[in-house]
Amino acid sequence: MLQTITLVVAQIIVLLGISPFLVGLIRKVKARLQCRRGAGIFQPYADLAKLFRKQPVVSSTTSWIFTATPYILFASTLSAGLLVPTFASLTPLSFTGGVIALVYLLALGTFFLILAGLDAGSAFGGMGSSREALVASLTEPAMILSIFAVAMTAGSTNLSTIVHKTALLESVVTDPAPHLMALAALCIVAIAETGRVPVDNPATHLELTMIHEAMVLEYSGRYLALIEWAAAMKLVVFLSLIANLFAPWGIATTLTPAAIGIGLVAYLLKIAGLAVLIGILESMIAKLRLFRVTELLGAAFILALLGVVFFYILRG
Amino acid sequence: MSWPLFLLIAAPVIAGLGSLLVQQRRAIEVLQCALAGTMLATAALVAGQVIAVGEVFVGDFLQADALSAWLDLILGFVGSSGTLYAVGYVGEEMDRGHLSLRRYSQFLCLFDLYLATMLLAVNLDNIAILWIAIEGSTLTAALLIGFDRSKAALEAGWKFIIVGSVGIVLGLFGTILVYYSSEHILGVSNEALRWSQLYRVAAELDPAAIKAAFIFALIGYGTKAGVAPMHTWLPDAHAEAPTPVSAMLSANMLTIAVYAILRFKAITDRSVGPEFAGKLMIGLALLSLAVSAIYILVQRDYKRLFAYSSIEHIGIALLGFGIGGIGVFAGAWHLMNHALAKSTAFYGAGLVFLRYNHKSIDRVTGLLGQMPVAGAAILVAGIALAGMPPFGLFTSEVLIVAGSYTVRPELAYVFLALLALAFVTLLYQVLRMVLGAPGEVGTSLGSQCRIFTSAAVGINIVALGIIGLYVPPGLETMLASIVKTFGAGIMAAR
Amino acid sequence: MALSSIDIGSQLVNLSSALLLIACFAIVTLRRLSSCINVYILQSVFLAMTAALVAFFTDIHHIYISALLTIVIKAVAIPLILKKVIERSDVNRDLEMNVNVPSGLLICGALVILAFFITQPIIPLGFLLTRDSLAIALAIVLIGFFIMIARKKALTQVIGFLVMENGLFLGATAAAYGMPLIVELGIFFDLLVGAFIIGIYTHQLQDTLDNVDTSKLTTVKE
Repeated sequence: MLQTITLVVAQIIVLLGISPFLVGLIRKVKARLQCRRGAGIFQPYADLAKLFRKQPVVSSTTSWIFTATPYILFASTLSAGLLVPTFASLTPLSFTGGVIALVYLLALGTFFLILAGLDAGSAFGGMGSSREALVASLTEPAMILSIFAVAMTAGSTNLSTIVHKTALLESVVTDPAPHLMALAALCIVAIAETGRVPVDNPATHLELTMIHEAMVLEYSGRYLALIEWAAAMKLVVFLSLIANLFAPWGIATTLTPAAIGIGLVAYLLKIAGLAVLIGILESMIAKLRLFRVTELLGAAFILALLGVVFFYILRG
Repeated sequence: MSWPLFLLIAAPVIAGLGSLLVQQRRAIEVLQCALAGTMLATAALVAGQVIAVGEVFVGDFLQADALSAWLDLILGFVGSSGTLYAVGYVGEEMDRGHLSLRRYSQFLCLFDLYLATMLLAVNLDNIAILWIAIEGSTLTAALLIGFDRSKAALEAGWKFIIVGSVGIVLGLFGTILVYYSSEHILGVSNEALRWSQLYRVAAELDPAAIKAAFIFALIGYGTKAGVAPMHTWLPDAHAEAPTPVSAMLSANMLTIAVYAILRFKAITDRSVGPEFAGKLMIGLALLSLAVSAIYILVQRDYKRLFAYSSIEHIGIALLGFGIGGIGVFAGAWHLMNHALAKSTAFYGAGLVFLRYNHKSIDRVTGLLGQMPVAGAAILVAGIALAGMPPFGLFTSEVLIVAGSYTVRPELAYVFLALLALAFVTLLYQVLRMVLGAPGEVGTSLGSQCRIFTSAAVGINIVALGIIGLYVPPGLETMLASIVKTFGAGIMAAR
Repeated sequence: MALSSIDIGSQLVNLSSALLLIACFAIVTLRRLSSCINVYILQSVFLAMTAALVAFFTDIHHIYISALLTIVIKAVAIPLILKKVIERSDVNRDLEMNVNVPSGLLICGALVILAFFITQPIIPLGFLLTRDSLAIALAIVLIGFFIMIARKKALTQVIGFLVMENGLFLGATAAAYGMPLIVELGIFFDLLVGAFIIGIYTHQLQDTLDNVDTSKLTTVKE
């Protein structure tokens, strides 16, 4: 019991603490690639602190959804984070659910954010919400299928079981073809869900190009802080999924302090590496036009589908 | 070490390179005549050697069995008359100022290399190098088809190279599958690609792999042979290419593609039984016949007319081979006669084009009166291609009808119906062009052109006549040997 | 699935074959011709990697030469020829498709499944390498064929053809342990000459027709 509580607290601390750092790291990498120094890596922490101190301004035409959404979003994303193995393969809440719970917790947050974007009645909000709904509806099947493709090797949809089993197998990648397809699909999904280039530009406020930013345009103060933090945690969730489902080496499979220490270091290195890669990718390619985004996500779906099909065919 | 075989392949290469380097018309003409004579002589010698000994070799690389020698005869003969015709044809083009001397020599060089690659292809034991040679002939043909660089020619050449390459890639995949299945038994080496070895161990090869391999080979090489539904490149290529090239395409290239299919069929028959390959080939053959019969009806361009006729006749040959037994005898005989007749038809067509500069059937009449050589060529070829006696095509078609009746009576009825349709339509179009009063005057041809082209036409007609009336004993021995090796078929199985 | 049956050699080959397949999908989705050629270069590099892996695990040394030739010809020479042709003909705008991208991807997925079904009854060669490579090779050939018919510009037909050749080479190398060296040399030579001739053709098509849109190649009909 005590162990579970400690693990829960530890994972919460990791999630909350790492997420702003990752966002800052990505921004730093992009700045450096654009030949400027950019803000410090820890700037997002300062931003969050500042936002929490400020008084929020809420439009009088909004309903309870507007004020409730930041909390719902934050809570659902944090719970989703607790389902994903980070530094240890045994997550504290793994008994409560697996892939499907993860996907739908994240979807819950997205759903409320979409509603909140519509709530203020501004044109930007509605536009952002409809675009986000488009992207979300296309990424959901791809995400489920790609995790299924990996789940079938491990024989369970429970994420910690999957990671545990994958980590214990000594071979390079057990079933390369389905895993590769699933990895490609999941990477595309991760980029879409976290609102990164080429799907959405997190640094823009131009009407033509906003998706996520458009929905949160009306928010300020602590609400904005919670939403930003939740977005950062979503990024951590996806990066952890990619890192631990496909390259789980170093993860702590037992709960000894030494293993946890190594697991923590390995985990940090892996997601920092992935964050750097995202920064580089964002600097290399341009944002896609919206109808091309649907093609990209369709491609992700096909890849994930093929991953599942490959698994069956290669076994049969 | 068979010197004739070596010379048969080396001669066109030498002549081609020589024509490119020596930029003198007289010298080139002499070179090409020498080539024609050499090809004729060496092909006959190779055939003689094979009849006597069974198989001839050149080192470890070239090998000729009965089927190869049969094709050597076809390619050698039609190749030599084709060379003469080509010299006359492009010589006339050059005299009229359409070609420079450089382009003239380039054309003849490519033409000779084209013949060389085709001759190489049929004298190999290694099925992968067979593929390489056929691909090589495709590439040279592509350059020849688009030679005059007009819009239509480029379009036809582009279609040819794209459709042909796709087909040939599938053919290579079939080859790889065969290699894959034979590696178990013959080892990971060149041995696993040798047809003679494959034929020997065919019963032990994995049936599933061989079935898949045959399907790919049939589609792939079938594309090169102009089998429907992969025939789409054929009418355009034949119509837009310079006529000597069209003649070689129809007579030689389609024939070597059928040769490749036959090689694969032999292995398949011994591995999975003759029904599989036979049925597929019969099906595609009937489709080719149907497609060509319909299109011959509506043709307005005489080169396209002969092109569709080629599709029809390749279909007939394929039908014969699919039936097996006596069908193989008939199919091989059909290939030889078709090559002779079709090249004659194209020779005539080319002369008509040179004179009138258009390809419309409607505007051509009274050829026998105005251009006796061309008229005779088209008339004789038309009668032969329509399947009338006393030409060999009649014999082979009758034998195939008899064979198909034994397999299934309905097959024979359908075949006869399609044959009749093609007979009527082709003969109608040909007679329209050849008989009647002369129409336009056109530009008359130079004497040099007339000499060469008449020689080519004459040789072909004489040969057609001789083998139509009488099968020389040597040829009969070769055919018997071919039937023995390749004769497994649906008919033989009953 | 027992651990002991997982062989690292066949796994690595499978991995690189799967990378080749993903490159195929990328080519189907890309719209600019030069991007397609870049992905083709990447695919050829993966192909050479696969060949090198096969050579390493089977100790058949002439496959190293094939791998080297793949890089020289498919990753360097042919893309250079194609890029020169593109420069001259200015076809780098958006490629029009006969089939739009999502449907195209679905069709490619179906082709992959078809390829697996076709190769399923074929008995595997046994020992080191699996027959999955043969299935993936056939899938790449079929996808290459689809690329040829799904695009309108003449040059993308060439890309489709080259992808088909890549699939073939994968089949020959990974499934059949590489064809004998002389055969490989012959095939490479043919490929190079073919690319050259296609370059000539596109150049002449450009000069004569002033565009290389194959949907406009309709003069010769019936």
